[in-house]
Amino acid sequence: MSAALHELSIAEAGALLRKGEVSSRQLTEHALARIAAIDPAINAFITVTPERALADADAADADFRAGVDRGPMQGVPYALKDIFDTAGIRTTCHSKLRENNIPEEDSVVAARFRASGGALLGKLSTHEFALGGPSFDLPFPPARNPWNPDHIPGGSSSGSGAAVAAGIVRMAMGSDTGGSIRGPASYCGTVGLKPTYGLVSRRGVFPLAYSLDHCGPLAWSVEDAAIAMDIIAGHDPLDPASADVPKPDFRGSLTRGVKGLRVGVVRHFHEGLAGLSPEVSGAIEDAARQLSSLGAEVEDARLPDYELFNACGRVIMFAEAFAIHEKDFQTRPRDFGLFTWLRMTLGAFVTGSDIIQAHRLRRELALAVNKTLSTYDVLLTAGALAPAPRFDAAPPGMPANAPLLNSPANVTGNPAMSIPIGFSSDGLPLGMQIYGRYFDEPMVLRVGAALEKAIDSRGRRPALAG
Amino acid sequence: MATQLDEADLQAEFDALARRAGIEIPPERRAALLEGFRDLRKMTALLHHPRPATSEFAASFDVRSITRQIP
Repeated sequence: MSAALHELSIAEAGALLRKGEVSSRQLTEHALARIAAIDPAINAFITVTPERALADADAADADFRAGVDRGPMQGVPYALKDIFDTAGIRTTCHSKLRENNIPEEDSVVAARFRASGGALLGKLSTHEFALGGPSFDLPFPPARNPWNPDHIPGGSSSGSGAAVAAGIVRMAMGSDTGGSIRGPASYCGTVGLKPTYGLVSRRGVFPLAYSLDHCGPLAWSVEDAAIAMDIIAGHDPLDPASADVPKPDFRGSLTRGVKGLRVGVVRHFHEGLAGLSPEVSGAIEDAARQLSSLGAEVEDARLPDYELFNACGRVIMFAEAFAIHEKDFQTRPRDFGLFTWLRMTLGAFVTGSDIIQAHRLRRELALAVNKTLSTYDVLLTAGALAPAPRFDAAPPGMPANAPLLNSPANVTGNPAMSIPIGFSSDGLPLGMQIYGRYFDEPMVLRVGAALEKAIDSRGRRPALAG
Repeated sequence: MATQLDEADLQAEFDALARRAGIEIPPERRAALLEGFRDLRKMTALLHHPRPATSEFAASFDVRSITRQIP
């Protein structure tokens, strides 16, 4: 097995593919070999699709030979969280309730990657219905953290974070309703971008909570994430939340640096919170200093109290999720895993008044965040308050007090990206979030790219990644 | 729903809401779910702060995206 192929960025692989110095079949066989070697330790995949992957690869190679160029993902292996419908390939939501579900059509995201010429390696572990996990009472085992398999990878895009960190794929798709892209990105040491609500179609992706759900990439580098965004962003008139906006130039600003940008650090979200690791807060301060030294104007910024965002987001999420699964909760509750049942049942206890008040508060919070973002180009906040916990120390039941500060961007719909900012003393990744203005992903990616270059964390892989 | 209840009233409300929703709560899961309900009640209490009658929600976070008016 070549040690170098999986370290090629999507852009580097694309350049070699176009020069004929590597084939998509080589890249794909290499990735499949890595799945066989590594995945038994991390359970990132629910379903591996070697026949589909090699067929995609051969089609990409044939296109290259014929001079057909479908863009930067052509010939590049990728994978999808197992809530994205894939025609003819089972899509389980990591649940007994959909264990044998085989969709007839691709989700919009899956169709876009198929059209882009990428090679689909398979479907990735999640928390059950993107909510209940990590669990051992489901048909498939939970994904494990490649940096230390005794630790959780975060969720719910667990397999996506694990597969990217382990060097199986450069990019995998996840979804994010309360932090499910950014949480695993932080715990696994990858980039994870939750785009602006409405920028990426959710059609064909099993919903957790309609008004909070987003699709986005987990990737090894900011540039890889930007390339994925270029594939998946776009208006979909059949997704009622889809925004009809021009597609931004996601890659155009990556090298522009941060000189003169205004950066607000929202320290009051995390300072003084129980469970805050000094290594996390220290790494955030280091990152802020890095941006300052690169020419950004960095200041302390304030938003409404985090507890308001959390309450607003959780109440809406529980209510919407329960509405989606209500009939199954009444008729076959024992088919849900325990964690899913415990979390989702809370939606049955949300009253009409609660949900209306949550939506009224939601608007106030959105106005407040975006007023602050009229002063700053981006905001920095903590994501995970500490490195990934061990499985036996992970919060067992309610996510209400989970040590993650990701809810605000789901409540307000702003883009937010988790970016690696270092490692703990025991070798686990640390992350931080960059928030941006609506549809200003290019600015979020630009700041992320500057930090990624300054921190230089991309050369370090988990030991099991070889 | 905005006020904090004593334990007996909390459990009575918990049982009533579960019955209304058609949810059967197995005895071995009751304590864990009740703990979640306590957390939920703390969260819903935060939502019920006084607001002017004109404070209307926007269906989502930003009316521009709903009306698709962003240039």
